[in-house]
Amino acid sequence: MAGRRVLITGVGSQVGSLLAAQLERDPDVEYVAGLDTRRPRLRLEHTEFIDADIRDPEIGRLIPRTGVDTIVHEQIVRQPGPRMSSRAMHDINVIGTLQLLAVCERVPTLRTIVVRGSAGVYGAEPQAPQFFKEEMTRLFPLRTRFQRDVAEIENYFETYSRRHAGVSCTMLRYQPAIGPGMRTQVTRYLSQPVCPTYMGFDPRIQLVHIDDALGAIGAAVRNPVPGTVNVACPGTIGLARMIRLAGKRALPIAAPFFGAVTSTGQRLGLDSQSEDFQRLLRYGRGVDTRRLTDEVGYTPRLSTADGVEDWARHAKAAA
Amino acid sequence: MNQSTAIAFMRRLRAGLDSGLELPEALTRGATALPGDARETIARILDRLDGEYPEDEWGFDEDFAELVEPFFAFLYESWWRVGVEGAERVPAHGRVLLTANHAGILPWDATMISMALLREHPLPRHPRFLVLDWAFHLPWVSSGIRKVGGVVASPFNALRLLEQDQLLAVFPEGVKGTGKAFSERYRLQRFGRGGFVEIALRTGAPIVPVAVVGSEEIYPKIADIPPVARMLGAPFFPVTPTFPWLGPLGIVPLPSKWRIEFLEPIETASYGPEAAADRALVLELSEQVRGQIQHALYANLVRRGPAFI
Repeated sequence: MAGRRVLITGVGSQVGSLLAAQLERDPDVEYVAGLDTRRPRLRLEHTEFIDADIRDPEIGRLIPRTGVDTIVHEQIVRQPGPRMSSRAMHDINVIGTLQLLAVCERVPTLRTIVVRGSAGVYGAEPQAPQFFKEEMTRLFPLRTRFQRDVAEIENYFETYSRRHAGVSCTMLRYQPAIGPGMRTQVTRYLSQPVCPTYMGFDPRIQLVHIDDALGAIGAAVRNPVPGTVNVACPGTIGLARMIRLAGKRALPIAAPFFGAVTSTGQRLGLDSQSEDFQRLLRYGRGVDTRRLTDEVGYTPRLSTADGVEDWARHAKAAA
Repeated sequence: MNQSTAIAFMRRLRAGLDSGLELPEALTRGATALPGDARETIARILDRLDGEYPEDEWGFDEDFAELVEPFFAFLYESWWRVGVEGAERVPAHGRVLLTANHAGILPWDATMISMALLREHPLPRHPRFLVLDWAFHLPWVSSGIRKVGGVVASPFNALRLLEQDQLLAVFPEGVKGTGKAFSERYRLQRFGRGGFVEIALRTGAPIVPVAVVGSEEIYPKIADIPPVARMLGAPFFPVTPTFPWLGPLGIVPLPSKWRIEFLEPIETASYGPEAAADRALVLELSEQVRGQIQHALYANLVRRGPAFI
């Protein structure tokens, strides 16, 4: 498998940049390209940076000439940032994916696609099984815009892989990520002065540590497994215990007032949580990771609780 | 704890706080004046505040289960005066599916089966139990049930727990059992579609039928008000002699006398996992288990005598 040529979309994101750096170090990879409008966050040695918007049909000219055999689709927005409307997030997620797949048709060298999708597609439900398996996507209605985006993206890739038997398409369903220096919904939540919780609820939260998040993509690039695969650190952690380990205090809010209180907080300049994340804070979610271990061949090094402790240690040292 | 140790504790706590210690450290220092077991309890509470407590992937929290045990012990010994028979028939190791009759809105019967095994079994272990998913919508109830070993009643959860060689209790009557009227007590409802047998066959877990007498008198349901139930999103809204008339006091269960009998295990491993697809076998086994429990219920009702004395 030597001499792999890999393109990463969304290389300007934290995970995208770290992944580019990891692939640069991989002896089996001879060429790395990164697509984004934002510059990578790290100094990358020899990644070719392609400054283009994934929604722009222009990428149809830029990508085929790289002659890549693998595309890692990393540009999926989980929560609109401060200067991004939810409309723009939807455009990047859905239109971006459509454009990318249109381009894939014109890359004859392409053999592997790996997508960093989201376990958010399962939802967070009180009556959910405590560990979702890959085939359990249709158990509950899609409630949020992000869930519908992810479901649509998954559909596009499914259709694509049905029509292109020669290309192996891996849909990785990631639980929320945590890790030193990372800015994710979880780390932003745990960095607040107090963490709003739903009064009387202590959901099971499952996360993926950034090292294992990158390790899993790396493994999926080396050993492509067609179909969907859950990615998470084993085990779950109660929300109350997670907040304690982070050295923070919980602010329990009765469920009917949760939205009002947090949106007031947002107006006062505090952090806000996406609808998906709010549901997670109420009901939690766990996924089964046997497919990741058995078929992709990647065993996460940390448990969810280890991941939280690792983050908390670095956060305390930095403060 | 006698009065003088309490005073000594408070004095040390105060001295600690005065000398500028944070509350947790001051408490630890104060605790040195206490007898051993109280000191241990305080240490455990402080560990919990730091997030240092065990918790498995199901949210089961053994420390919490032990902390609340005295409460269930009181119910077990004094309130319901539970008599137990056949606890030793439950296999001490490996996967086991306990199958019991079910009544009452709150899973008291599950907690008493749990207590019966912890008290009477030679090699006790904490059973896990499947709880009607409606309970997981509710604040406090949802987290409390999970911490003592309850999980959402989903076949996926049952399979995974048995694959992990756990002791699992299920109530195949489901919501039909909890919503039974008082006049229907101890008449077993239909056992769903036999899903519990399928799960036992797929995992090769032996089925241990359990007959619980007493649980069906704790909340004598006289009537149901469906509109209120719909408003609350509950499966039914019961009216009992105490609920909703006495408000929150109405959820105090009546002190009936209980008997729990564990019957001989029915082994399923010899059929092989493919047998789970055999409808006829599944329904036959399901009916066999139901019949055995029904029979044991009548026998134990006679042996128990009057319900409340």
